[in-house]
Amino acid sequence: MLTCREIIDNADHLLDGTTSRRQRLAVKAHLLMCRHCRRYVRQLRALLRAVPFMYGKASDAEVSRVMAHLHSHRTVKH
Amino acid sequence: MDRETLQRLQAGDQALFADLVRDHHRALIALAVPIVGHSEAEEVVQNAWLKAHRAIARFEGRAHIRTWLGRIVINEAKMQLRQRGREQLFADWQSADESGEALAERFSANGHWQLPPTQWDMDTPEGLLMRDDLANCLEELLNAMPANQRAVLELRDTTGFSFEDVCNELSLSASNARVILHRARSQLFKLVDHYEETGEC
Repeated sequence: MLTCREIIDNADHLLDGTTSRRQRLAVKAHLLMCRHCRRYVRQLRALLRAVPFMYGKASDAEVSRVMAHLHSHRTVKH
Repeated sequence: MDRETLQRLQAGDQALFADLVRDHHRALIALAVPIVGHSEAEEVVQNAWLKAHRAIARFEGRAHIRTWLGRIVINEAKMQLRQRGREQLFADWQSADESGEALAERFSANGHWQLPPTQWDMDTPEGLLMRDDLANCLEELLNAMPANQRAVLELRDTTGFSFEDVCNELSLSASNARVILHRARSQLFKLVDHYEETGEC
């Protein structure tokens, strides 16, 4: 029987889908009985879905700087 | 990105390209930071945008656009390192051992939760990390993270590289990268968990 600590150590594998069938079954059996680990896995999954958005959008000034840089290089090329 | 948007981008729609910059610029800077440092990240990403702008016609839309842009940034960052004569990314790059696992103290000796996770408020999963005060806590945490943890986290979770590609890009063994990624994610989890419980970093 896996301990909670082992579930947490394997959660990354589990969410990446890189666990073996045997490991997956062992994790599932544990999760059926352990609400703390169910919560951990559910919240880790939500966290990883949110991570790509965590830096937010660039400001108008940042966007203008990049676009001006592109434009200056295009002007030089012509 | 839908096909029509991509076609308009490839036809040279500058307003759409500006939207692309708006959506991804900050994440791309964050990706470059652990490789070239804060002072050069902006320059690397500026150059990467230039390359992306020239190459967008060849983007086939198979990968996520963020992943495609991330690959250009990584190549640009590595080129910058070579030009500066810094082949080795960081002295501690391969080491996964310099910081412990952030959640270790939450378990008892027999491996069961002693301090289980709190219930998070997740009305909108994408908004989970975007509250202003939490964003400040996150920035502090990410800046204090060992460079290899930050790089693996940015590549895998922010930019969407496959685990295998992360290992190849950073010349890490799979087992080492796995430990590094787990440590980085555990730090993030611990931070959000603490914030959800106390409203503070």
